[in-house]
Amino acid sequence: MQDAQGPGELERLLAERGRDLMRTAALLTGSRQDGEDLLQAALERLLRRGRRLDNPAGYLRRTLYNLAADGWRRQGAWRRKLAIIGASDPAGEADAMAAVDLRDALMRALRTLPPQQRAVIVLRYWEQLSEAETAMMLGCSEGTVKSAASRGLQRMRELARSWQEPEGGPERGTKNGLATAIKLTEGRS
Amino acid sequence: MNGDVEELLRESMDRSTADMRVPADMLARARTRVRHRQLAVRAALACGTAAVTAAAVIIVAGVAAQPGTGGGTNAQTTAYVIKRVQNALAAANFVIQGQATGTMTVSVHGRRVTSSDGLTSSWSYGKRSRMVEFTGRDCGHYLPGSGYCTHRGGSELYLADGTAVLGGKLTGAYVTYYNHKYSLSPLGQDHLKPCSPTAQLVLGGPSVTMSNWPAFIKAMLGCDDATVTGHARIGGVETTVISGSVDVPLSKGYARSVREKRVRVRFTLYVDSATYLPVRAYGSTETYGGAAGPTVSAYVTNVRWLRPTAANIAKTLVTIPPGYTRVSSPAQQ
Repeated sequence: MQDAQGPGELERLLAERGRDLMRTAALLTGSRQDGEDLLQAALERLLRRGRRLDNPAGYLRRTLYNLAADGWRRQGAWRRKLAIIGASDPAGEADAMAAVDLRDALMRALRTLPPQQRAVIVLRYWEQLSEAETAMMLGCSEGTVKSAASRGLQRMRELARSWQEPEGGPERGTKNGLATAIKLTEGRS
Repeated sequence: MNGDVEELLRESMDRSTADMRVPADMLARARTRVRHRQLAVRAALACGTAAVTAAAVIIVAGVAAQPGTGGGTNAQTTAYVIKRVQNALAAANFVIQGQATGTMTVSVHGRRVTSSDGLTSSWSYGKRSRMVEFTGRDCGHYLPGSGYCTHRGGSELYLADGTAVLGGKLTGAYVTYYNHKYSLSPLGQDHLKPCSPTAQLVLGGPSVTMSNWPAFIKAMLGCDDATVTGHARIGGVETTVISGSVDVPLSKGYARSVREKRVRVRFTLYVDSATYLPVRAYGSTETYGGAAGPTVSAYVTNVRWLRPTAANIAKTLVTIPPGYTRVSSPAQQ
């Protein structure tokens, strides 16, 4: 198949910028595998374009954010099924080995944000774009960016606060629960 | 506080994606999918029907089970897909790699408590197999009977189970790393009768943890418990989803000890819509019917089919580390 972008250009682009794009895609979707799917979907859009682009990397990046903000893959019923039993889709093997700490908790909280809020948070705090640049990237108003960033960050702060509370804080996920289970199990034995 | 969280968030995002790379075949996959789509559109234009587009875009013609098409159509779809999967499994000559993560939810005084069950990594090729388990993050594994943790703080290699070559002969081997012990057993003693309650329970656990795993799945798909339930994309691969659920009575002794009566096993296979080989398996078990409250364990296994090179085949064997003590059975480990 002939690429409109010219022979070998996409290979070069992925060699130079692929890792950054992959990291962004994983942050936008919440997992490595979904990130791969998202980046592949963006690549397919680029391949389907009939004419050559001056800035294919910019196009890919914008497509990633727009697909993510549109709630790409929201329809995944099987994913919801996994969520019911608490088996979060892992971000790859490394995730299974990661230490449970506040950073983990923040990343988990990031995954729970609505797609547009998550896209805004990644653009503002990962790519470090201004509110105006973020609004331009997502094709929305600066006001929307401000409120999405504020709400998203508020959830992160609540999580951080509860994490720093002493035993019994409500948001510590499985960590406290597991500690309780260990105590109860040891008490019985 | 605000600055702290923003900085932590940046650091978390950086750390959680530090090891990510674009898969080498992503661009090729994207090109293939675009080509298929273009072919489908051309076919639709040639025939002048929208229906052809829909069927061709799905690529697996005849597989799409749409809501409202009636039970007969879905039964035909299921029979067709399962036959294709069974044929693919029978013909497959690959080293199979499985990576499973699991969770367990128990009822503790009326509260549901979920813990991560660590990582299970497994390899299988013909009669050879090797499964290694890593401990969970918080306390390792609960030791049978005592309820104590093997250790605290981080994940560690916990056990290996499978086959080893000793004196030129393939034999069953079970190694526990935390206490430096191993036991050996003749091959084949864990042979499972297809569709039996024990075999159904195995479906609810992590996958690729046994010899001849393709033959096991092939046989279990013939138990009439599975149906095609849709399509999904897994790691960039179009898959057909096959799901099933069975209800199994617990043995009397086990039922008494866990104070439950039955267990519900659910499983889902995601098979590559082009090759019909499974790329992901999901299995769960949930006890119920007794006084203890349900215990749910659930596993997601990502499956890779690798060429049977010498290096890959070597990974399907358990090695006994020097200095380990042999005991007569796994029960003594």
